[in-house]
Amino acid sequence: MRRVSLALTVIVVVATSAVLLGLVLYSPIPVLLDCLGSAEIRFAILLSLATSTISTAICVAIAVPVAHALARYEFPGKRAAALALTLPLTLPPLVAGIALLLFFGTTPWGRALEDAGFEVIFTPLGIVVAQVFVNLPYMTRILRSAFTAINPRYDYVARTLGCTEGGSFLQVILPMARPGLLAGTAVTWSKAMGEFGAVLMLAGATAMRTETLPIALYLNISTGDLEMAVAAATILIAISLATLCVVEYLDRGIHVF
Amino acid sequence: MLRIESLSVALGEFQLRNVSLEVRAGEHFAVLGPTGAGKTVLLETIAGIHEPDAGRIFLGDREITATEPRFRRIGMVYQDYMLFPHLTVEENIAFGLRQRRVPSADRRAAVEEMSALLQIGHLAGRYPGTLSGGEQQRVALARALVMEPEILLLDEPLSALDSRTRERMRAELSRVRRITGTTMVQITHHFDDVFALADRVAIMRDGRIVQVGETADVFGHPADADLAEFLGIGNLIRGTASREGGLVRVTAGGGPGFLAASTVTGEVVATLPAEDVILSSAPFDSSARNSLPATVLAVVPRGSTVQVYLDAGFPLTAMLTRESCRELDLAPGSRAVATFKASAVHVIPVDP
Repeated sequence: MRRVSLALTVIVVVATSAVLLGLVLYSPIPVLLDCLGSAEIRFAILLSLATSTISTAICVAIAVPVAHALARYEFPGKRAAALALTLPLTLPPLVAGIALLLFFGTTPWGRALEDAGFEVIFTPLGIVVAQVFVNLPYMTRILRSAFTAINPRYDYVARTLGCTEGGSFLQVILPMARPGLLAGTAVTWSKAMGEFGAVLMLAGATAMRTETLPIALYLNISTGDLEMAVAAATILIAISLATLCVVEYLDRGIHVF
Repeated sequence: MLRIESLSVALGEFQLRNVSLEVRAGEHFAVLGPTGAGKTVLLETIAGIHEPDAGRIFLGDREITATEPRFRRIGMVYQDYMLFPHLTVEENIAFGLRQRRVPSADRRAAVEEMSALLQIGHLAGRYPGTLSGGEQQRVALARALVMEPEILLLDEPLSALDSRTRERMRAELSRVRRITGTTMVQITHHFDDVFALADRVAIMRDGRIVQVGETADVFGHPADADLAEFLGIGNLIRGTASREGGLVRVTAGGGPGFLAASTVTGEVVATLPAEDVILSSAPFDSSARNSLPATVLAVVPRGSTVQVYLDAGFPLTAMLTRESCRELDLAPGSRAVATFKASAVHVIPVDP
C-alpha cells in the first residue's frame, strides 16, 4: 500500500511539473522576454493586477461582515441565505457571466445603473464586477469557517473587559481569524487573476481594453500567435507561484501547499 | 451585593427558570450542579452576554439588567481561560485597561502589580499558547482582576487542571480573595471546590435553584431525596487534622474525633458517605478503625432507606435499610455504636 501510494505520488508530481515546465520552456528565452516586453502583454499584466486587487479588496470588505453574521448570529432565513451564497460556488463561471450580462443588459435596474454612470458591459469595470461576483462565495465560505472555529467566549470576555461589540470584533475576533483571512485573500486574488469565463461574458474580449492575462492568452491562441499566448500563460504561472510563497512567508502557521 | 430576582432565560436547549439569588459582599459563592443544569448560562446572563426574558439583576444598589457588559464592572474567567492567542501575557492583562484608556504608565504599573500578586511576572512577554494550564489560569485571573471588578464570575475555573495544579490554584483563589476582597461566584461540579472555598452554595438542577445556604447546611440537610442522592455525601465534618501513625486524626467539636486515611493536616473538611457508616447496638470486631459511641437524634425515612442523625461528639449521619433500623430498634435518645473505615473518609484542606 505504502509503496503504491508513494509511487503514484511521484508519478503525479513528475507529470504535473513536466506539463508546466513544458509550457514555460516552450519559447526560447529571448523570444519569451520579447513577448513579455510587448505593449499588449504589459497592458494585460497591469489590467489583471489592477482589477484583481480591486475586486479582492471589495470581496474582503463584503465577505468579512457577511461571513461573521452567518457564523455567529441567528436570523430568519439564515439557511436560505447560506444556500444563496454557496450556490455560485458550484456554478460554472460562464453561467455566472451570462447571468450578469442579462442582469445589466436587459433589466430596468441594470439599465438604471448604466444610466447613472455604472457601465459594466464590455468595460474594465465589468471585469471587476465579474470577478467579485464569482469570487465572493469563496471568500465568504473560507471566512465563515474561520469565524465559526472561534469560540464565542473570546468575544464575551472581551466585552466584560470593556469592549463594544465592534471593538471586540476588530481587536479579538478579526486578528484570531487572520489565517483564514489571509488564505481567503490569497485564493480570491489568484482566482481573480485567472478568471476567464465570467469576464469574457460580461466584459468581452477587446484587445487593449478588456484584455486581462487570460483574455490575452485566449485572443492570441485564437489568432495563432502561440508565443504571445505562452508568454501570458507563463506570467500567470509565475504569479500563482509568487502568491503561494508570499502567503507561506506571511503566515507559517498555515500551509496552502 | 449581587441580587437576582426571578430571572428566566431561554437559550437553545439551556434554560434558566425563575432563578432568584443573593450573593453577599466579599463572599465566595459556589453554584453546584450537574452538566447541563444551566450554570454557565446563569453566569453569562449576570455578565450581560444574554438578555433575560424576565427578571431583574442588581449589583449593589444599581439595576444592571439592561446594562451593556462593558459597563457592569463584572469580571469573567472561563474554564478554558479564553486568553487572546495573538497577544502576549502582558497585553492580555492590559487589554481591559487599554479599553478604558488608562494612560500607559498607570497601565504598566497596574499590570506589574497584578502579575506580582499572581506570580506571573516572568511570563510577561510570552504568548498564551506556550503556557501550562495553571499559568494560563493565573493570567486569566490577572486579566479580570486588574479591572477591579465588583464581582468575579468563575466558570469551572479549576476543571481543566490536573489534580495537583487544581489544589494549588484553589489555594491561590482563596489567597487572592483574601488580598483583594473580591466577591466571587464560582460554578463547579467538584464538591471539593465547594468545601474548600465556598462560604455559601446554591444547588442548580434543570435551570432552577433547588437549594441555597451555608455549605455545611446544604450538605448536611439536603432539601429533598433527589438532592441527597446527588450530593451523595451525608457527612461533612469541619475539624482539625493531625498526624497519627500513617493516618490523620480529625477532631471536631469536643470529642476524640476519628481516624482518616490521608496526609492532609491542619484545618480540614472531612466527608463521609452516610451509607459507609455502620450502626450496631454494641462494639464488634472488624478491620474498621473507627468505632464511636453515639446518641440517636432523629430517624428520617427516605423511601426504602432510613437516614439516622446521630451525635458522636459531632453531627453524624448514617443511612441504613428499614429492616436494620427496626432490628436495632433505633429511636431518638437511644444509644448506638457508629463504625466506619478510615479509608471511607475523604479529607480536604481548607485555607484559614
